[in-house]
Amino acid sequence: MPDVTMTGPIVILKLHESVLKEVELKEQLTIGRKAGNDLVIEDQAVSGRHARIVKIHSVYFLEDLNSTNGTHVNGRKIDRKQLKDTDVITIGTHRLVFRDEVRNDSVPVRPLAADSDQTMIVTGAIQSGRAGTCRQSPVVRIVSGRTDRSEYPLTKQLSIIGTQDDAAIKLTGWFAPKTAAMIGRREDGCFIATAEGGKIIKVNGQVVTGQVDLKNGDLIEVAGVKMSFYLDTPAKP
Amino acid sequence: MATMRTCYGVVSDVGLKRANNEDRFCAEPALGLYVVCDGMGGRNTGEIASALAIETIQQHMREAARRPDLPLIGVHDPAFSPQANRLAAAIRLANQIIYEQASQRPECAGMGTTVAAILIRDQILSIAHVGDSRLYLIRNHTIQPLTIDHSLVAEQVRQGLIRTDEAQRSSRKNVLTRAVGVQPTVEVELGEIPVRTHDLLLLCSDGLTHGVTSCEILQSLGGCDDPHTMSQRLVAMANAAGGEDNTTVMLIALSPDHQPGVWQRIRDRFRRRAYQHAH
Repeated sequence: MPDVTMTGPIVILKLHESVLKEVELKEQLTIGRKAGNDLVIEDQAVSGRHARIVKIHSVYFLEDLNSTNGTHVNGRKIDRKQLKDTDVITIGTHRLVFRDEVRNDSVPVRPLAADSDQTMIVTGAIQSGRAGTCRQSPVVRIVSGRTDRSEYPLTKQLSIIGTQDDAAIKLTGWFAPKTAAMIGRREDGCFIATAEGGKIIKVNGQVVTGQVDLKNGDLIEVAGVKMSFYLDTPAKP
Repeated sequence: MATMRTCYGVVSDVGLKRANNEDRFCAEPALGLYVVCDGMGGRNTGEIASALAIETIQQHMREAARRPDLPLIGVHDPAFSPQANRLAAAIRLANQIIYEQASQRPECAGMGTTVAAILIRDQILSIAHVGDSRLYLIRNHTIQPLTIDHSLVAEQVRQGLIRTDEAQRSSRKNVLTRAVGVQPTVEVELGEIPVRTHDLLLLCSDGLTHGVTSCEILQSLGGCDDPHTMSQRLVAMANAAGGEDNTTVMLIALSPDHQPGVWQRIRDRFRRRAYQHAH
């Protein structure tokens, strides 16, 4: 950003590292994607009428106009905020730097985040959902064999069937292996995987090699234990 | 239970357009820990952030291996194993340390880094990531991403607003929605899947994935089983595609654990010698 001596407050519009425009602030500056705004930003993440800067007495305020993706100042989402010199406004992928002081080269310029780098960060813009887990609450019910419980809700992304301490389905048979098999959850359902060096697993009587997707009601046999798999917790029989 | 042998290769390259390499990595087979970080920030501070992240994560995981009762930073997520939670804690600690440094040293303000970290223990792969460095699984001649970028375009793909190929072409694909060290706290995304022998894992920075598609990655890996040679190939492809950014490629091959016989050992040694002569 060039250090220039100036008198009135301005905003500097930036995309990534390049300065696109400098706009002098008057009584009001409307910002948005649609034509008719004082400052038009061509950016899909910017709403038609996104925000405005208004002058009240000698102070400038930034107001979000109910935009879809929100308006951020120095990384914080705002509805309305008084602007200070060097505040960085993030709108979509564009940034606006507010400058409000007569300055010269001796005035320190606060370094902007990622100012000379191509990667930038928008924080709090979008809340992402957790990926990788299915929406149901799958459950395994023991039909026969030695385990520490009769029913196991599969709450983990990866549930171990075995004797080890952190096994979700705990086998208690004498010769049961530490890890006999694993049941994994995905966005679109569950699967069972064999453990190498573990025991043979059967699903509905068929021997599993590698891993296989589980369907509701599947009968799993592993290390002498028979269990039924349900995609959703069934009513007690 | 049979244990698996891991064998890895890694190449980190500055690319053709950048002056310095801000990617950092670590591999610690004894812990099953493999991490790739891609730093960002003005005036070379990106490499400070990525180096701090690597150092912190590695130290924390080493200490936790000695002392399992080491306090966990952040909230324990019951949907994942203790080791996945430990990995998340290490990344949260790195976040604290980078954030503190950034607020104490004005020249470091705003620096941050991506983290893609994995922990392989027995046959369980725990995944923790923040940002757009990625993990792929190559199994049975197919390639599958195991992480979803924390970037604006990936979020738009997730919401169904744009298609994957549009995301690949987007001019805004370098806009991240999460990074380590830029805010007082960070949300770490975790994953956990079973792995088996003959699986190949690829950790990489965006220097690879911006220029090279996953199909091309898969094709180039065929007919070779040395992770180092394969990593060199992938970096060469990233540079051939423009080399716009730093590229780090780490490949981890899982193979059955059997003690090699005496002839195998002699042959391996001979091959290594021949390789060293050739390069």
